[in-house]
Amino acid sequence: MKHLLIIFLTLSLNSVFAYDGDKHVNLGDKATELKEEGRSRDIHPSLSEIRKMHPAFLMHKRDKTLRQGVRSKRNSLKQCVDCHSATKNDEYVPVNAPDQFCSTCHQKVGTSLDCFSCHRTTPEEDL
Amino acid sequence: MNIRYQQIQGRSLGFYALIAGLGVLILASLGSVLFMEHHGHYVTGMSNRIVWGMPHVFALFLIVAASGALNVASIASVFGKKIYKPLARLSGLVSLALLAGGLMVLVLDLGRPDRLIVAMTEYNFNSIFAWNIILYNGFFVIVAVYLWMMFERRMNKFTAKAGLAAFSWRLILTTGTGSIFGFLVARQAYDAVIMAPMFIIMSFAFGLAFFILILMASYKWTERPLGDVIVNRLGNLLGVFVAAVMYFVVVKHLGSLYLAENSGVESFILFGEHVYTPLFWIGQIVIGGLVPMALIYHPALKGNRSTLGLASILVLIGGIAQLYVIIVGGQAYPMEIFPGKEILEGYGGIATYTPSLPEIILGLGGVAVSLIAVTFLIKFLPFLPESLADDVADPHHKK
Amino acid sequence: MSKKLNRRDFIKSTGVATASVATIASGISLTTFAADENPVTNEKRWGMLIDTNKLTETNIDDMVFACQEENGWGFEEHSTGDQKANWIRKVKVKDKATGKIDALPMMCQHCDEPPCVDVCPTNASMKREDGIVLVDRHLCIGCRYCMMACPYDSRSFVHEDLSNQKEHMPRGKGTVESCTMCVHRVDKGEMPACAEAVNSDAVIFGDLYDANSKINRVLKKVQSTQIRADLNLNTGVRYSGI
Repeated sequence: MKHLLIIFLTLSLNSVFAYDGDKHVNLGDKATELKEEGRSRDIHPSLSEIRKMHPAFLMHKRDKTLRQGVRSKRNSLKQCVDCHSATKNDEYVPVNAPDQFCSTCHQKVGTSLDCFSCHRTTPEEDL
Repeated sequence: MNIRYQQIQGRSLGFYALIAGLGVLILASLGSVLFMEHHGHYVTGMSNRIVWGMPHVFALFLIVAASGALNVASIASVFGKKIYKPLARLSGLVSLALLAGGLMVLVLDLGRPDRLIVAMTEYNFNSIFAWNIILYNGFFVIVAVYLWMMFERRMNKFTAKAGLAAFSWRLILTTGTGSIFGFLVARQAYDAVIMAPMFIIMSFAFGLAFFILILMASYKWTERPLGDVIVNRLGNLLGVFVAAVMYFVVVKHLGSLYLAENSGVESFILFGEHVYTPLFWIGQIVIGGLVPMALIYHPALKGNRSTLGLASILVLIGGIAQLYVIIVGGQAYPMEIFPGKEILEGYGGIATYTPSLPEIILGLGGVAVSLIAVTFLIKFLPFLPESLADDVADPHHKK
Repeated sequence: MSKKLNRRDFIKSTGVATASVATIASGISLTTFAADENPVTNEKRWGMLIDTNKLTETNIDDMVFACQEENGWGFEEHSTGDQKANWIRKVKVKDKATGKIDALPMMCQHCDEPPCVDVCPTNASMKREDGIVLVDRHLCIGCRYCMMACPYDSRSFVHEDLSNQKEHMPRGKGTVESCTMCVHRVDKGEMPACAEAVNSDAVIFGDLYDANSKINRVLKKVQSTQIRADLNLNTGVRYSGI
């Protein structure tokens, strides 16, 4: 019931607010590369789906990983951060910093972003 | 005999001063919360050894007192003592207000108070804490319904039934609060079933002390008549409850001393060199027990309202001391992780805890929230009888 | 991992289940670990046997250090003394009668009947099917009741804001944490970092239920104890030599 409610709210909120158009300013380094190679559809077959549903996907995945030990890469937050992190002066900028991938939208629609009070905000690897 | 209830006027300077004073305290406590939540709990006195500190002392004190404050109403509607009936509305109000204050403190001391919604949607039914969340919420509903039955003339006939439900619920609620500690098998200071009944009897004393103070203050400040019959009855009752608390404390410690595994923690509390020993003997036993009983029962002081007020305040101070000894003292003494062995390194020793100012202010803020709620509500709803003079309160009173 | 995401890798890792066998130095099979998409089951129960006679104090310090490095705790800036995170530590005990001194590493004992899980109001404290006890920080409200209930004082509360966490080990202010038995490594078929840091006979990690596993075979032979065995918690971490 609760999950249905979350999905419903997510859908209804995001269909009102979801950022339309394909002109996202700060896609992140790897994601930009993939996009330029025309491969972004391979990862996110439907952009509107991932925009609307990513909270539900992440929620589902988090429970599977933590509680059942299913550590596949699809919908894993680590992978999101991996592709959508941008670099500046040879250093990764945290994805939740202002004007970065996650925060731009979240700020715009005024929803809180709680992932990164615990999760790492940049890919682990050093540049 | 009809009792007429009337709101207080609440236009005097004193009223606004009271509201302003409490308001400042509440703002200060919210400021403390922002400070603690912004920095994290490292700015408090707590640590991984003392995980529940001053806020929990105040929170549990208020929650325990809340269920006890309902007793006056219960005596009237469950046990049919007519003389307490005019006090029943105020009793329900004080009880709800204290619970609200206590819960506020409890919630604001969480590591993630922003996730309160999780506590309301995810229940682990094995957890006594989860039961308590249900018990607290249920208490609000049941007492609110009970108050409605009392206020609404057409519903008056159900008052007794609602009162019985509220009385049963409050007994379960305090059992739940006591069991938070009683079921902690690993901790020598807590693992005792007697915690639950002891908390119930503590609630009787603390709740009544709050009630007496609020009753006397509101009648004095609004210059309404308050007769000796009621005040003396309540005073005597408080004396009995205080004595009962002392009895439970004695039984608990004697029972605990009997077990060799608990002798360490018992001598730490009762005969140790830390703050908990004077808090126990001077704070809890003398200030919170012996002195109030003397003030209440000494023939020369019989019927003296100032001394009854003082006795009630001392009971409350003693109650804070008692909960401090139970909660903080019980954690400060190390657990027996290796029975038969002495721990040289890595664990053990008495954990230190110095309450920080924000923690204390948060606790006091909870008390202020309770008092401001009572103050406002008696202004807006008719909780207080116009008169509690002896001939009104007690029809059989002989002049 | 290369910076470019290879599509084929991506599909491979998410799609078809792949099984593999991990082998540890001593040649003992850690048994096949669950394929990516399969949930862990209660057919396994991960455990650890720690032989204090085979561990020097330096070894124990190494275990603590390995855990810190792996999971990134203990580097809190503001927390002091008992406020700092402490997932595993060296404990020295002396027998009151004989005076015998033992040093041992103490961490979450991964109980079969964990008191922390019983008391948690929000189901954040949880035990996986394979016996690993974890805190689901997504649900943790920071009430600290689990810390009151734990008989081993093995949980820590994060007292301050953290950044630069390990990618595989999210940690954050206001939540409770403890040893995860390096669940992120175990799921990949590896050993916990502390076990890997020392001689494989001193700390044996494996499946307690598997009759062919080293830990099962050794436990059948040697005398071992559970700490606070009187509480009947059936711990996953066992000790011999104390």
